[in-house]
Amino acid sequence: MTLRADHVEGAFFVGFGLLVFALSGDLPTGSLSLPGSGFMPKILAALMVFFGLVLALRASESKEFATLSWSDAKHAAMVIAITAAAIGLFERLGFVTTNVLMMFALLTIIERRRLLPAAIYSVAVVGTTYILFVYVLKTPLEAGPLGF
Amino acid sequence: METTLHSLYLGFSVALQPANAWYAFLGCLVGTLVGVLPGIGPLAGISILLPVTFGLNATQAIIMLAGIYYGSQYGGSTTSILMRIPGEASSVMTCIDGYAMAKKGRAGAALCIAAVGSWIGGTFGVLVLTIVAPPLATIAIRFGPPEYTALLVLGLIFLAYMSSSSLIRTLLMACLGLLLGMIGIDNMTGHFRYSFDLAELGDGIGIVPVAVGLFGLGEILSTPSADAVKDIISPRLRDLLPTRKEWSESALPITRGTLLGFVIGIIPGSAHVISSFLSYAVERRVSKHPEQFGKGAVAGVAGPETANNAASTGAFVPLLALGIPTSPITAVLIGALMIHGVSVGPTLVNEHPDVFWGFVASMYVGNIMLLLLNLPLVSVFVTVLRIPYAYLYPMIIMFCIIGVYEVNNSVVDVWIMLIMGVLGYALRKFDFDPAPLVLGLVISPILEQSLRQSLIMSNGNYFIFFSRPISLGLMLVSIGLLALAAYSFVLQRADWRTKLAEAEAGEAET
Repeated sequence: MTLRADHVEGAFFVGFGLLVFALSGDLPTGSLSLPGSGFMPKILAALMVFFGLVLALRASESKEFATLSWSDAKHAAMVIAITAAAIGLFERLGFVTTNVLMMFALLTIIERRRLLPAAIYSVAVVGTTYILFVYVLKTPLEAGPLGF
Repeated sequence: METTLHSLYLGFSVALQPANAWYAFLGCLVGTLVGVLPGIGPLAGISILLPVTFGLNATQAIIMLAGIYYGSQYGGSTTSILMRIPGEASSVMTCIDGYAMAKKGRAGAALCIAAVGSWIGGTFGVLVLTIVAPPLATIAIRFGPPEYTALLVLGLIFLAYMSSSSLIRTLLMACLGLLLGMIGIDNMTGHFRYSFDLAELGDGIGIVPVAVGLFGLGEILSTPSADAVKDIISPRLRDLLPTRKEWSESALPITRGTLLGFVIGIIPGSAHVISSFLSYAVERRVSKHPEQFGKGAVAGVAGPETANNAASTGAFVPLLALGIPTSPITAVLIGALMIHGVSVGPTLVNEHPDVFWGFVASMYVGNIMLLLLNLPLVSVFVTVLRIPYAYLYPMIIMFCIIGVYEVNNSVVDVWIMLIMGVLGYALRKFDFDPAPLVLGLVISPILEQSLRQSLIMSNGNYFIFFSRPISLGLMLVSIGLLALAAYSFVLQRADWRTKLAEAEAGEAET
């Protein structure tokens, strides 16, 4: 049997629905006349399992899983990694330092831009945004150890 | 009628105050840019800019955010026509014939028809909103939990039936969104649900991190900068006026698009996207020359562009009259008003007439601003597209982080945005439309509460939804739509989605 995209998707949603059921174990379902907090989540989990099964059973209409293009995955993974690092540092280093570093990393590591233009662009964009938000729009941004 | 005119006068006196007019202009300008830029749609744009409105009063905030919304519908057509890149989802259909017209040297005419059609659709929508919303708000006071449940169920079924992706995929996305909406404290019993001992999840997952993640970051992850370089056709100003033949060919599609878009806009769902798809299908069907579609048919630009703007305005009817967010975008707008202490619903028109009528009047003003802004400045907007995408997307990521963080000053929200970005990337890879997920998240608390209240009211009897006239009518429409969908699904017959996809595939080959 050829593995198709809808087989994978269907299996994912069936698994997700079952996981929701497992996590809802301690939530009271209640009764029809007095539904509890687990009432709706369990109905939705059951629907998700059902629709997941239908998707997998009708998978013959979908494309083969092996033919899916993952050429953009490397770019996506690198953007995710750099953004995750920036979010992790956001409250420690503050808005300005974190975002300058993030933009510089995106431009030099992923986009292979030259160091000086990338640095000038990062500082200029983040600096302008900081002034716009803090002084013009009066919306405070997260401050770092240096006070900005 | 006299009261309405008097109220509208009050609205114009609010909307034309210099500060309010300035924010309407700013919203329209930013909205056009949001629409023009690929990778940042109206939902992400509004969410990111939400913190900017914290320093404004409620009227200015809603005027500016609504300007971004309908401005983006105008701006989306520019990239569709000049680059064959839909600036946002509702402009997908404009790409087909708009770009074909541009290749024939009629880019200016296509842009002009799109702008005029958008203006007519938007203005008609505001006119009907002016007349319909106040009496509808009076009726809405009679809405109880069963009516709200029936209306929201109809919205979900309508969305599933009309969505451009398959029925099952849309329903799966809606289920996922509804489940996400149940994270946090259960309002009726106080139970913590799926919060994994994280205090920040006690209030549930906000719409802003989900919307910005799925639509902002998700789009960036799916678009490597090397793929974003496209040829741009620059129209000359003197070529902007369509010929008499082009005007006459666009008159009826604009009329049909206006009516179709407004009606679809009222029903919960991703109205502006569905309306443009449906308008294209209708125009193709009624055309005497369907073979011209895909090769530069004027109706293929005029109909969808008018419909998506009329739908954007139509979506404000249930928002202002019933307090129901019929789309993720209107949900963010409700959030913006709530931040300013204004609760949206049937009482809005009486309790905050300056906000309600000021907002309505600002849409008349905004639509004229957009018409004046879009045509002469099209070459300026095109210049923005010349900024290399490699420099553009790091800036968009930075704005995504600011937009999400500033709403609650919570870094957990920013992590949620990143997770949603990854999910958005995966969903695009597997051809899932994320819009029903966001809609599910938005309506989840209202749907759950109204369903449970209805069952408590009826002592567990589901017949309550069929025993009250308004909910009965809404449920019958839902059942009819489900029957139609099941008919196509079980008999494996080609429904309107399949036929449209086949038509598009045929055009791509020619």
